[in-house]
Amino acid sequence: MSSSAEALAPGDASASQLSSFRHYRHLTLELAVSQFKLRYTRSLLGYFWSLLKPAMIFAITYFIFVDLFKINDGTEFYGIQLLLGIVVWTFFAECTASSMQAIAGNSGLIRKAYFPRSILVIAASFSSLFTFLINLVIVFIIAVGLHQIDVGLRIVMVIPLLVELYLLALGVSLFLSALFVQFHDVGHLWDVLMQLLFYGSGVMFSLTYVLQRVHLAGAQVAGHGPHDVWIVEIMATNPIMQTIEDLRHALLTPVAPWTELVMSGHLAAVNQYGALDTPWLVPAPFLVVAVIFAVGALTFRSRARSFAENL
Amino acid sequence: MTVNDRGLAIQVEELSKRFRIPLDRSSTLKHRLAHWRSASRYRTLEALLDINFVVREGEFIGIIGHNGSGKSTLLKILAHIYRPDAGRVTIEGKVSPFLELGVGFNPELTARENIFLSGAILGLGREELHRRFDEIIGFAELEQFVDNRLKNFSSGMEVRLAFSLAIQAHAEILLMDEVLAVGDASFQEKCFDVFNRYKREGRTVVLVTHELAAVTRYCDRALLLDHGRLVADGSATDVTAQYRRAIGLAADGSRIGPEIERWGARDVVVTGARMLNEGGEEDRNPTTGGFTRIEFSYQILNDAVSEFTCVMWLVRADGLVVSEAHLPVSQYARVGATQQGSSGTIRYDLPQLPLLEGDYGVNIELQARRDAAAYDHVEHAIRFRVIDRNERRGVVEPGGTWSVVPHESALAGWPDQLASTQ
Repeated sequence: MSSSAEALAPGDASASQLSSFRHYRHLTLELAVSQFKLRYTRSLLGYFWSLLKPAMIFAITYFIFVDLFKINDGTEFYGIQLLLGIVVWTFFAECTASSMQAIAGNSGLIRKAYFPRSILVIAASFSSLFTFLINLVIVFIIAVGLHQIDVGLRIVMVIPLLVELYLLALGVSLFLSALFVQFHDVGHLWDVLMQLLFYGSGVMFSLTYVLQRVHLAGAQVAGHGPHDVWIVEIMATNPIMQTIEDLRHALLTPVAPWTELVMSGHLAAVNQYGALDTPWLVPAPFLVVAVIFAVGALTFRSRARSFAENL
Repeated sequence: MTVNDRGLAIQVEELSKRFRIPLDRSSTLKHRLAHWRSASRYRTLEALLDINFVVREGEFIGIIGHNGSGKSTLLKILAHIYRPDAGRVTIEGKVSPFLELGVGFNPELTARENIFLSGAILGLGREELHRRFDEIIGFAELEQFVDNRLKNFSSGMEVRLAFSLAIQAHAEILLMDEVLAVGDASFQEKCFDVFNRYKREGRTVVLVTHELAAVTRYCDRALLLDHGRLVADGSATDVTAQYRRAIGLAADGSRIGPEIERWGARDVVVTGARMLNEGGEEDRNPTTGGFTRIEFSYQILNDAVSEFTCVMWLVRADGLVVSEAHLPVSQYARVGATQQGSSGTIRYDLPQLPLLEGDYGVNIELQARRDAAAYDHVEHAIRFRVIDRNERRGVVEPGGTWSVVPHESALAGWPDQLASTQ
């Protein structure tokens, strides 16, 4: 991650002379650790909040949807899959929200000391990432405790999936934090967008479940083919949805299929409504991550040189 | 080896920097969208204009000038914080990333945590900070407060911590912005000790400060900035003297701002100043032509002081210097840090105040000799308003006398011509 800090530094010859990879790596970690500490000062439960929060959101969601409305995606592992979805979502939401303030909230540092500005955003994202990794371990332990897990070699896929998710969150954070310096509207706009994204990211339901519901609704209304499959197709390009789904498969249970299989139509034989026939959509989430990261990094890079003057 | 033989540390060529200050301070998308066609309206501030200078390795250089003259902007460009709009800045060597003391300090963290965080910004590694930790805490005299949160520290404690951390930086070129503006006398002495060490080590130091005495004491050279232009580059003594004259004598008043109130080495200090009327009562509304006494007291703080001079300026509110007066105090009073000579009162009597109605001030400066560096300069030590019962315009009542001599013959000279033209 520190290498991207180097690349994003407002660069000139003397600045790169003075920058040493080790120094900036050390600074990034030091900032991340302090922010993690600061986030939980003045609270009785301290670090436990980072664990308690997703647990409480999970309890509420589970109570309303499963106990009250009796909604379930029909799989025996629904509870633990919901928990995993919430943990991933919480990471993305907290990471982007706190990283967005990383530049504007550190105006003193930026106006008085020189270092690559991206370090501040990376440090903020690290502090969320750290909480997220602890949460993932806890989800895993709970899953083992409830026997709601089927560990397989698939688990190695967790690492590239986490890298993908982190790059997405970092790309969005770089973009938002750079714009937030001059336009605070970005903060409000992002709040609204996050609400939309929450429903479009399969936190509560898997892609196949949504597809089934769309088919059922279409069949009830018109008696023939579904009209709203395009919504599911758009959802399938969402990298958050894809990483949540694939993490469920890799970490928890093969019952939740790889999104790749859902999209390419290879599952059609298993479940007539459970798959799309859109193999061209398979690379879409990865392209979205690449584009968002590139746009975020370039936006940040071009605006970073004027942060000190605009704050 | 003379200074000119040494390698270049900093080279600044034709450097310019301007800030665009939006006239409407709204920074929302709505505003941008509503006015996307019309070019945004800005006021352009020329912060720096065509600056050229070089600093050689091991030089100790001071940058002085009034507030807003561009000193800090220049320092920030040297530190890579601001980008120049035009010109070139070449820097050979590692520059300290800090401009001020205590950058990165967080009040919610303990002294220990702050050392590691702020130290990381300074470029110090974790192992190195561990190794030097006791030294840093010891220099700051905070051994008992290592694990206390910074918010519970006094400002003096915080400054000591910041300074003892800042001097650990490895940089070859140190940039310091007003590090002397904080801290008490003993802290300033510590700063000076460190400066002396830097000089011995041959490090390059660029110091921005209002403390002119520090510039003359430690800097080989000084740069004087005025409204973004480099107006003087020369020996510290010459340039500070020029600056002192400029702020003392500026006729347009723009350079006497409320921000420059007092400076000097404080070897002798002004301890009080007042204006008295004929009856010996304090009176800041003297009348034109009335008796007025300006009285101020001094105290000698440094035993080494054997002579000093005082200068007093009467200044109109807009900065016009009305008059200047000197008194070599040590020729009239025994001066020394002994019980008897260490303090005293100086009086300046005006039997008939020659000022017309308006707002004025008294600036006082104590110096070793005339035009030497200030021991203590107090801007507007007394502010007063003169009342003129005759409501005349102008500044001074020069005390001239009128006379009219009537001519006896109507044939003589111009009064007749004057009459004929009517």
